[in-house]
Amino acid sequence: MSEKTERTEDEEEVFGESSIIEIVLFKSDSCAFCPRAEEVIRETIEDFEASVFKFTVINVTENPEAAEEYGIFALPTVMIGGVSITGIPEPEMLLKMILSAKVYKKRGAGE
Amino acid sequence: MSDYTIERVKTGIPGLDELIEGGFPRGDTILVAGKAGTGKSILATQFLYKGATLYNEAGVLVTLEEPPRLIRRNMLRFGMDLAKLEQSGRLAIVDLSPSKEATPVTIGEYPSFDLSGLEAIILNHVKKLGAKRVVIDTLSIMAYKFRSRDILREEFFKLCAAITRAGCTLLLTSEIPAQDTGLGVFDIEAFLASGVIVLYNEKISDTSRSRSIEVLKLRGSKHSSRIHSMRITDEGIRVWPGEISPGH
Ligand SMILES: Nc1ncnc2c1ncn2[C@@H]1O[C@H](COP(=O)(O)OP(=O)(O)OP(=O)(O)O)[C@@H](O)[C@H]1O
Ligand SMILES: [Mg+2]
Repeated sequence: MSEKTERTEDEEEVFGESSIIEIVLFKSDSCAFCPRAEEVIRETIEDFEASVFKFTVINVTENPEAAEEYGIFALPTVMIGGVSITGIPEPEMLLKMILSAKVYKKRGAGE
Repeated sequence: MSDYTIERVKTGIPGLDELIEGGFPRGDTILVAGKAGTGKSILATQFLYKGATLYNEAGVLVTLEEPPRLIRRNMLRFGMDLAKLEQSGRLAIVDLSPSKEATPVTIGEYPSFDLSGLEAIILNHVKKLGAKRVVIDTLSIMAYKFRSRDILREEFFKLCAAITRAGCTLLLTSEIPAQDTGLGVFDIEAFLASGVIVLYNEKISDTSRSRSIEVLKLRGSKHSSRIHSMRITDEGIRVWPGEISPGH
């Protein structure tokens, strides 16, 4: 029984992940530009269905290990699907990143 | 210790302390500049290794260029086992090298960022280890990573201040571009530091080169004003205080 259940869960997970785009913002307590960066991201993804995105904010002041793991030390930095931009992002740039992450995911899922 | 005597941090480079009144002033920022292959990384890493093994001062090595496994391998040639120090909590190697797999590909930069992340990452290790020595190798790579020079300049000042305020003596390395006469790609490297050491590997004949070291400045210190012979031996870098470099 366990075998069958496990396989189903795996399939669900893979399928679920492929339809969600993960956006990660690295910020810190002292970073003056970070609040604006977070605002821009929230405003940009507002127009989409909420289920399309998973938006995670990593506070490097509280969690420096996470920033070190990703090699990110200039803040704010937004990471979407393996690419990143540093500084307060322009909405157009974010949309571009989201779009290419989507295309990439679709292609990956279709193969 | 009175406010008027400067406490010295032994460099761990045989012969170098004699040129600078016994060592680097504690809590200062020292720049080690030189062209490619002059020994900047070896000198900086030796400063940390000897600090941990001989002077009971833990260290943090922030590598922005060379991957840690290569640093460990190269230093082992000099009998310096970094992995052992890492295991015993006397050294932390912070891998911010481009070879890192998890690092996303940067596709853009807006001139609205700071280096508070770098500060948090470094100070986290300083605190964990109770470190007294920090090396950032190399500053120059930042010039290729980021376009906004003005931000970098300001942020470097803040970063150095934060690290030294935490009680650490900070060594920065900077690569002098091949045809360049300055001290690095930012033109501010010298201002950033209260001490500047320059490494050379000059051609002295058609068939040979000679390594040397110069203490260009060291605030609060009566230092040698000559260029001294330096060698990379099986035990690491060594300076000959009595020997003036033949290349100069
Ligand atoms: N085991 C060794 N014995 C003698 N010399 C060595 C040894 N290992 C390396 N070297 C010398 O040291 C040089 C490298 O030193 P190091 O990596 O410290 O240079 P660097 O100034 O940091 O260079 P870069 O600017 O490229 O980072 C080599 O080019 C070589 O000449
Ligand atoms: Mg080097």
